[in-house]
Amino acid sequence: MPRKLERKPRIAVVVTAVFFVWLYLPIVAVVLFSFNDKKSLSSFSGFSLMWYDDLVHNGALLDSLMASVKIATIATLVSLVLGTMLALGLDRVRSRKTQVTLGAVTLLPLVTPEIVTGVAALLLFTGIGLKLSMTTVILAEITFSIAYVTVIVRGRLLGVAHEVEEAARDLGCTHFQALRLVLLPTLAPALVGAGLLVFALVFDDFVLAFFTTGVDPQPLPVRVYSSIRFGVSPAINAIGTLMLLASALLIVTALLLPRLFGRGSSSLDLITTGEPL
Amino acid sequence: MTGVVRPSRRSLLTGGMALGASLALPGCAYIRDDAPTDAPLPPSAKAEIDGDLIYFNWADYLAPKVVKGFQEEYGVKVIESNFDSMEGMYAKLAAGNQYDIVFPIAKWVVKLRREGKLRAIDPAQLQNAEQVFYPGSYFNEPWYDAGSQVSVPFTVYKTGIGWRTDKVSSMTGSWDDLWNDEARGHVFTLDDQDEALAMAALLLGYDVNTAKASELEEIKKLLISQKEYLRAYSSDDINNLVGGDAWVHHMWSGDFLYMKDGVAEDPTKFDFQAPSEGVPINSDAYAIPANAQHPGTAMVFIDYLLRPENAIKNMGYLYYPFPVRDALPAFAELTADAPACNVEISDLENENVFRLLGADEVQRRAAVWTEVKAS
Amino acid sequence: MAVSAQPRSAQRTSLWGWLLAVPSGWMAAFFVSSIVIVVLLSFGRTTNDGFPAFATSTANYRALWNEVYLELFVRSFLYALAAVVISVLIAYPVAYTIARHGGRYKNALVAAIVVPFFASYLIRMYAWKALLSDDGAVNSGLRSSGLSDGVTFLNTPWAVIGGLVYGYVVFMILPIYASLERLDLSLIEAGKDLYHGPVRTFFSVTVPATRPALFGGVLLVFLPAFGDFVTAQLLGGASTYMIGNLVQQQFMEGQNWPLGSAMTVALMVALAVLMVVYLRATSTQARES
Repeated sequence: MPRKLERKPRIAVVVTAVFFVWLYLPIVAVVLFSFNDKKSLSSFSGFSLMWYDDLVHNGALLDSLMASVKIATIATLVSLVLGTMLALGLDRVRSRKTQVTLGAVTLLPLVTPEIVTGVAALLLFTGIGLKLSMTTVILAEITFSIAYVTVIVRGRLLGVAHEVEEAARDLGCTHFQALRLVLLPTLAPALVGAGLLVFALVFDDFVLAFFTTGVDPQPLPVRVYSSIRFGVSPAINAIGTLMLLASALLIVTALLLPRLFGRGSSSLDLITTGEPL
Repeated sequence: MTGVVRPSRRSLLTGGMALGASLALPGCAYIRDDAPTDAPLPPSAKAEIDGDLIYFNWADYLAPKVVKGFQEEYGVKVIESNFDSMEGMYAKLAAGNQYDIVFPIAKWVVKLRREGKLRAIDPAQLQNAEQVFYPGSYFNEPWYDAGSQVSVPFTVYKTGIGWRTDKVSSMTGSWDDLWNDEARGHVFTLDDQDEALAMAALLLGYDVNTAKASELEEIKKLLISQKEYLRAYSSDDINNLVGGDAWVHHMWSGDFLYMKDGVAEDPTKFDFQAPSEGVPINSDAYAIPANAQHPGTAMVFIDYLLRPENAIKNMGYLYYPFPVRDALPAFAELTADAPACNVEISDLENENVFRLLGADEVQRRAAVWTEVKAS
Repeated sequence: MAVSAQPRSAQRTSLWGWLLAVPSGWMAAFFVSSIVIVVLLSFGRTTNDGFPAFATSTANYRALWNEVYLELFVRSFLYALAAVVISVLIAYPVAYTIARHGGRYKNALVAAIVVPFFASYLIRMYAWKALLSDDGAVNSGLRSSGLSDGVTFLNTPWAVIGGLVYGYVVFMILPIYASLERLDLSLIEAGKDLYHGPVRTFFSVTVPATRPALFGGVLLVFLPAFGDFVTAQLLGGASTYMIGNLVQQQFMEGQNWPLGSAMTVALMVALAVLMVVYLRATSTQARES
């Protein structure tokens, strides 16, 4: 019955279509020019795999790509856990003072320019004698990402009736079960969204990463940023295309996983959201 | 009840950390008070492989084939990190990162040497040393490294103006051309403090390193007056010109050659001039940090790069001259079309080189540059 | 309810307590301490070698009293504000279209929005630079189709704002989508009947219903946009310098970390004040409606 419409709100659809075109225009350009047979970035003259050839033989770039994937994956998982804990805690804590103070502290990373967080992290690590390495990059990235997870998860939490959880408790669930079977499935879309966002943020980060890298292979964006001020070689388009492919694969996998595993939770989703997953 | 106790416990913890941080940090590797500067020079390593090469340089500064050749010939890996500025490079070195080879610009060789951050490089260890350290070579006593103890020259370059011959016909061969009326709204200045201030200083007849308040004030006014002609401050000179946004661009000589030879579809549309008031000349060098873990491999790497055939390959990639004796004729060929881009080693003896300045001088210059960019 | 709530809520607090303790501990250890360092350094000075050193000088703060810096602050604020407004104007229609008409393809569409953000912001911005340059694809297309003689897209304030939107709009779309998707959309339909118009419905039904998400989105777009420096560096012109560029310069070419720290502290205080004002304003609205 809600599916019946008098008239499609045309403006919204038009805006959406234009948005997708605008979003993908540079993507198309990047992919197209990665196959360009000349160095030009503005005119496509012929098809060639030369830039991919360059890439494959450039061990440094592949190492960087691996480093980026590793860093982003670990940082995403840890900050999802910590950020959700923080969001839940903030939502349920009884002292308003704690809530406001902690809420403010959590938002501080968003208010701080990344270069400052980077420099401060550098000073902190050297101050406590921690040698810069991939680990320090991951530590810094997690710290910066928790804020994003907290904001998104809280956005979804605010409005989730505590009654549903109370109801589950009344029905005999332990605390933990209520968390797992009721709360987390409700939060699932927010978690997926936050996870994807954080992954993209960390994967793409260059400022924070530059200041906290040691001599391990540097994350890819650090390399890209180092060259971008002075103009880049078209091989960068090949890098961009590969990054796109790798991440598209990751996302598709992330989206398909629930389908493969989670038939059990969908019925609860019906209760909480009114819509099957 | 618990809500009241926990915040105070947490704030104690936070306070404790803050106190701890402020007490611990002065002892930290980075924050220092005026440090002693005449430490004895760590001796040069022998040129023999002692592990993978940890390499720290600008991005895309060596031909990939050359690097790959090194890896294959010696069976080691080259682990690359990049910086986008000398200050960035310095920050990582000061933080204690252990790179095996770095590529400082001349004045930074002075600074790193002074702070004891470099180890000696003994030319006698390098088989190809005489390619750059031949009798009578300028590089035996370069201005930035007395006795050439800690560095081996890498490239030399100058800064001038690149322009569109089909759009602008009123060039006068002076730095004034960056205020050209025909190119109003299509002028670009390099996004580089030293370069921009030097350009204005040369136009006014001052030293490129000036930090005198009165001269800086004039430089500031001059640069602000450029804004009505200026489209942007950008170091992406090649793409700005090729993309059609720039008609007159403050530009590095090597970039112009690269553009003309490798990127532009119609090279005749472009030309380069080295203004008559004088041009900044710059050079950079190989250096091995004192805390390098594999200095031996670094020495071998430098030796490998000094081979004329590798220098020629690098020049073909970068279009900047490598002062490797047997490779120089190849560079002369490259600049045959654009003689203004040619850099003679003797140019380094002129005065227009960027020298190391004291912190307060740098800050005066930085304040000027900030005001220019922000206004 | 009240009788059974007592023992359960006692259990609750300790669980929530632990939940808060671990991430707070992390934030304290890594983030708060690094902010403390920045604050301490803001009172510092630079040695003649160029090293930052702790001190007790207010010189850096005094140096901030400069009309040029104030102008930068205002400019950055306006650019970020423009980016937020445009993002909201894009986010609602897009989120609504997907939530309402996406059907089976909802997740795919959301994925389609997020996937580009994995292709490196820098590379995509650079592609825009190539596309929008005076002789680039867009202008060539405009010229050959006779629509125009060529438009100067790059190195203008709108190029920077456009770049900011491009970089951060996803932070607005995702939360609003998550919120809209949970909403019973027949509410909106009912609202349309009640308010006789899409615009009024939007403001009277949709926005209040998605308020927390909108609030989150505004923060997630405004704050990073305000401190951004890369967009202005790549796409900006001679007069689009932003606060982020200023701060970056102090830590890099300017070699003045103490001054950069002072700027950052001032910036954070200013943004905190803005946030408090925003919070007060939006919560008052909520109470009134």
